[in-house]
Amino acid sequence: MLKLYRIIALLLFLCAATAATAHAKVYIDIFNPSSRSLPIIITPFKASGDFDREAVGSKAAQVIADDLDFSGVFKNIDANAAGAGLVDGEKIKWDVVSMLGAEAIIVGSVKLSAGSAVFELRLYDAVQQRQMVGKQYEGRAEDYREIAHRFANEVFKTMTGAKGVFDTKIAYVKSEMPNKDIAISDYDGANAHMLTSYHSLTIGPAFSHDGRQLAFTSYKDGNPNCYALGVDLYRGTAKGAAKIVSRKKGVNITPDWSPNDERIALTLNLNNGNSEIYIQTLATGALERVTNDWATDVSPSWSSDGRMLAFVSDRTGGPQIYTVDLAAGRFKRISYNESNYNTSPAWSPRGDRIAYVGQVGGRYNIFITSTDGQYQQQITSGQGNNEEPAWSPDGRFLAFSSSRSGQKEIYIMRADGTGAKRVTSGRGSKAEPAWAPGLMNQ
Amino acid sequence: MKHHLRLLLNIACVVALVFSFACAKKVTKEEIEAPVDTNLNANEFQEITDPAIKAIFQDIRFDYDKFVLKAESKKTLTAIAGWLKQNTGKRVLIEGHCDARGTAEYNLALGERRANSAKAFLAEQGVADKNIATISYGKERPTCEDTAESCYSKNRRDHFLLSK
Repeated sequence: MLKLYRIIALLLFLCAATAATAHAKVYIDIFNPSSRSLPIIITPFKASGDFDREAVGSKAAQVIADDLDFSGVFKNIDANAAGAGLVDGEKIKWDVVSMLGAEAIIVGSVKLSAGSAVFELRLYDAVQQRQMVGKQYEGRAEDYREIAHRFANEVFKTMTGAKGVFDTKIAYVKSEMPNKDIAISDYDGANAHMLTSYHSLTIGPAFSHDGRQLAFTSYKDGNPNCYALGVDLYRGTAKGAAKIVSRKKGVNITPDWSPNDERIALTLNLNNGNSEIYIQTLATGALERVTNDWATDVSPSWSSDGRMLAFVSDRTGGPQIYTVDLAAGRFKRISYNESNYNTSPAWSPRGDRIAYVGQVGGRYNIFITSTDGQYQQQITSGQGNNEEPAWSPDGRFLAFSSSRSGQKEIYIMRADGTGAKRVTSGRGSKAEPAWAPGLMNQ
Repeated sequence: MKHHLRLLLNIACVVALVFSFACAKKVTKEEIEAPVDTNLNANEFQEITDPAIKAIFQDIRFDYDKFVLKAESKKTLTAIAGWLKQNTGKRVLIEGHCDARGTAEYNLALGERRANSAKAFLAEQGVADKNIATISYGKERPTCEDTAESCYSKNRRDHFLLSK
């Protein structure tokens, strides 16, 4: 487990004037669909002091390279192709950097001593040959991943003006037949460990927007009840025991937190018939019924403004995605494709899109639609079943489960379907990812 | 002039408020009382081991994405209802299950409907409501894991347990 409270970003090397310039200028317009990736070189960080047994210098550089590459905003140029020696002492060989076509370069050093590691990491504009970001981090050598993620966030913020997700966590359901429990890891799958160990069926994790709680359904007390577990996202650990959210007779499933975390939308079956969507106010326990029909209604997902829900209903035959305007009580079907089986809606944190799963030709794949259902796009295809999309807190990426490599594993990708990357491995299938908000929100 | 504008704005706000309340009244949602928790006691039920009783409480099967009882299932359920009416000290737990295909969440809802289909039939046959409990396992507790219809059809089932 990481104990990151020990890591302190000590110094901002930049003088105030350049910092102001760097923040004012957005180098890459990530909202422009035609914007190109920025070519960048990330050199392995030079270690000094104690012998770098674990090669944390190169490992940390690799973590940053993986982060920036996954974002799609940067294109990594393989510095090894040009041979080592891009950095000679304190000096960067700008002519070589320019020849390689790089417009930015990250260099760094790590000073190792007993129990501590001091990283000095810098981002340079390779065209103007000047430093844009300089940070010093002090921690333990084994904290290199967290330090690297934090610096990658600095680089992302400097170049795009937007916050990165490289320090975020994901939770997911891990199967140990016949049981399922919830695991948590960094967004890239590293530092994975179990968050619950009930040795029962524990499924459907959903983070509160403040990142302090995880709601889920567990059969640990017999019935599929809904619980909320306090989490320390920073350490990736549970805080205390899970508290009951709902323990009605029948299912208490598919919880989703309202944007202000005061209410939870969930699926209950209070009348011995079919499941319906309800909204429970957490402070009072008061229930508000959202759907009322003969069909199966399940899987609510809040809109980012809290005014609407997307959910699944089979009121017209097979399951389809609907939205409901909560104040007006207006329902609207929004999944339109050749599939008669559309499920798992996830409303983008930016509010403009809804991801869902559609079954076409016996395969399950991820679709994205505008919230009015006008624009539909399939973003995965041809590789196993791809299900259970979950948005990153910035709405730029999706986590999902896929069977493309055999057993179900968790993958992450950009919201346009590119850059898919497997982040889990090992025994037991993994499913139902939930992407936690950034640590900085806490 | 400014004063008039503010007044107009106020009126507009009041109108908007009234209008939004008027809209809210048409809404299907309603405040409902939280029902009494009647949670399932996991330890109350066990698998049926007596061969004679097990022969009565056979799994009933369902079609893909369906919860309608088949003719043969009704026959099985009629026999189960008969036994339960003669053994009123026993409670039955109906587990609703689904095959591996499709979404875990939707299958949990579907499994519940399958359990409730059988429950409704048993109640119609005169089994006391308090003696019928249900639980959905969706696709989480398969009896086999092959990707073939022969396995899928075994998993689309209601399975029965009896109180100890």
